Amino acid sequence: MATQKQVKTKSEQSTDLEEKVQKLRELYADAPEIGKTALENVIRALKSGTPAKEPAAPVGTAGRIGRRQGKVSELTVIAPLAPGGAKRMRAFLEILHGSIGNEMVDMVGTVHDMRFVILDNDTKLLFCTAYDLDWDPYIEDFATKIPDILDLQFGDVEGWPGVRSPKVKDFIASHQITADFWYVANPNLTVVETRRLERIGKATEEFLDKIS
Amino acid sequence: MSSEDRVGEDSRNCIAVDLHDIQATILRHRPEPYFGTHVFLHINDAHGGREFLRRLAPHIGSAADWWKAGDAWIAVAISYPGLVALGVPGDSLRSFPEAFRAGMAARAEELHDYGANDPKNWERPFGSGQIHVQVSIVSPTEDKWHRTMETARQQYEGFSGVTVLLIQDFGAQPGSLNSLGYKDSIGQPAIEGSGVEPLPGQGRPIKAGEFILSYPGEAGVPLAMPQPDTLGRNGTYVGLRKYQSRVGAFNRFLRENGQNDEERELLAAKLVGRWRSGAPLTLAPAKDDAALGEDPHRNNDFTYANDPQGKQVPLGCHMRRMNPRDTKMPVLTDVNIHRLIRRSTTYGAPYDANTISELDDEGARGIYFLFISAKAMSTLEFLQQDWINDGTFMNLGSERDPLVGLQEERNTFTIPKEPVRRRIHDIETFNVLRGGEYLFMPSLSALKWLAGLNAEAAERPARHG
Ligand code: HEM
Repeated sequence: MATQKQVKTKSEQSTDLEEKVQKLRELYADAPEIGKTALENVIRALKSGTPAKEPAAPVGTAGRIGRRQGKVSELTVIAPLAPGGAKRMRAFLEILHGSIGNEMVDMVGTVHDMRFVILDNDTKLLFCTAYDLDWDPYIEDFATKIPDILDLQFGDVEGWPGVRSPKVKDFIASHQITADFWYVANPNLTVVETRRLERIGKATEEFLDKIS
Repeated sequence: MSSEDRVGEDSRNCIAVDLHDIQATILRHRPEPYFGTHVFLHINDAHGGREFLRRLAPHIGSAADWWKAGDAWIAVAISYPGLVALGVPGDSLRSFPEAFRAGMAARAEELHDYGANDPKNWERPFGSGQIHVQVSIVSPTEDKWHRTMETARQQYEGFSGVTVLLIQDFGAQPGSLNSLGYKDSIGQPAIEGSGVEPLPGQGRPIKAGEFILSYPGEAGVPLAMPQPDTLGRNGTYVGLRKYQSRVGAFNRFLRENGQNDEERELLAAKLVGRWRSGAPLTLAPAKDDAALGEDPHRNNDFTYANDPQGKQVPLGCHMRRMNPRDTKMPVLTDVNIHRLIRRSTTYGAPYDANTISELDDEGARGIYFLFISAKAMSTLEFLQQDWINDGTFMNLGSERDPLVGLQEERNTFTIPKEPVRRRIHDIETFNVLRGGEYLFMPSLSALKWLAGLNAEAAERPARHG
């Protein structure tokens, strides 16, 4: 996380860009025509436009694996499902998650979104989420506060040790894949901060209504 | 006051932990007043290290009758490099948690120890891997301190197996106040099965496994434990953080933001949640109440139920961050699983409210903050990341702990009040980290196991290659 920001001079930036463009052109040499044309268009725009912006927030790693931007992290997991697991998982997600599950995740207060995708003829789960800060330190809180929801969410994954198990962190990390690229619109806005700003925004409008 | 007054009612018929095997320091409160010494040692060779432990073991205090006050005791804890130096077998070494094996300095990124707190700036021998054993002597009187210190010294002095790296006296502070002038060591977790009832306000007893290995923790199961069982059972981990208090910066902050003594003392209380005497703002919102601060049956007897916005005890003050009790938090949190047993030991010149120069910030005074937990490493990482160096969990954005947070430029401290909050800008880092170590605190039987490790087996790899 502690990413050192490097400040580069303008000329350093432009030689950097030349090298990158060179590399891209080499790689795109045998790309389809559409890709090639698009690349040249983008390069032209890049060169004539304003110099590249500093990233809005430091890009780093989230705990052991995964990417992090500012305060937001991503977690992507692909894991095999136990036999019959896909059916149960779908039923749980459809019947229970929309009501009680969502409410619990709301309470967690750090989860921006969550996606369950069942893949490859019901044999695998793709799970993606964006959440605040690191998940490692919070697993124990989930284990004592909302163990059943987590064990229902992931209980059908082959070998799931249970959220209360001391092995659960290693288990998750062993199935985790770091995204190659990830875009975050508001890297410094946590779920908590977003909710707070929403409240403040509303209160301000009410205040303005009253005094106008 | 004797420490017997500072523990709850008798419930000795429901002792569920093996007090005779557990080290005294885990349960016994720091006496008041207190005197003592930390001795940091290096093991020169496996044989010598084991011989040293064998000599020391009979003098290590057990937690039997821990609620009885009056005696001095000796505690011992061993770092990962220390276990390696003792010749602990590889399988066993690998059974320790990763963060413990890496050591506190190597976990700087996870601990947000950068800038002024970066291990690069620590005092030697901290973070260098040289510290193998920490021996601590704790005493309620000066006389017993000297005698107990002498007992400890006889075990290492003039003995070639170990080398003394650092000797640090602590305590003997006027009124037992810490380096910023506050009474400390008040809020402690009650521990299930330890033989006493919680004190008023201490909250329900926490499962013993959170603090002592081999017992069920709050999740209902014991935590992973170093192997073999003889080594792990009844042991725990100790984290040491050596802080240097920037007393000048702290006093300047109070002066710049308070017009007179009264305002300054209120601000000092708002930073912690308690007045200097220990009286909590919840029970004494307007002015200090020394008798309340003194009284262990009253000084912790409160919740935050009537103070959801922090108008008495600010949401961002040190005490409320470190133990939010019943605060309604926007992030799902189990407040019972991030608790620590604290054994703070203040060193150096006593607090002086007239110390204001920048030179005073560099003086050797502060706290050897020792904390005990069966998961000390992950708890410290959690606290450093989420409760100390961030404010999201209390709806405070990026604001940090006013006492132990590492402040960045333009950081703030918010004091909720009517009609509008007061926000103080440009708060500085008042306590700088100057060293740190993770140590394993073995049970008395594990200590004997370590002392008696088969010398042949342990030394064989060295001899053959
Ligand atoms: C130089 C450093 C520090 C100073 C001056 C300091 C000072 C204080 C004071 C004055 C109190 C209130 C009295 C009491 O309950 O003991 C307190 C409470 C506490 N502190 Fe610290 N502290 C320091 C470091 C730390 C650190 C590093 C941690 C945790 C990693 C910590 C955790 C706590 C906890 C858990 C409480 C009790 C809260 C409660 O139960 O209500 N302290 N500290």
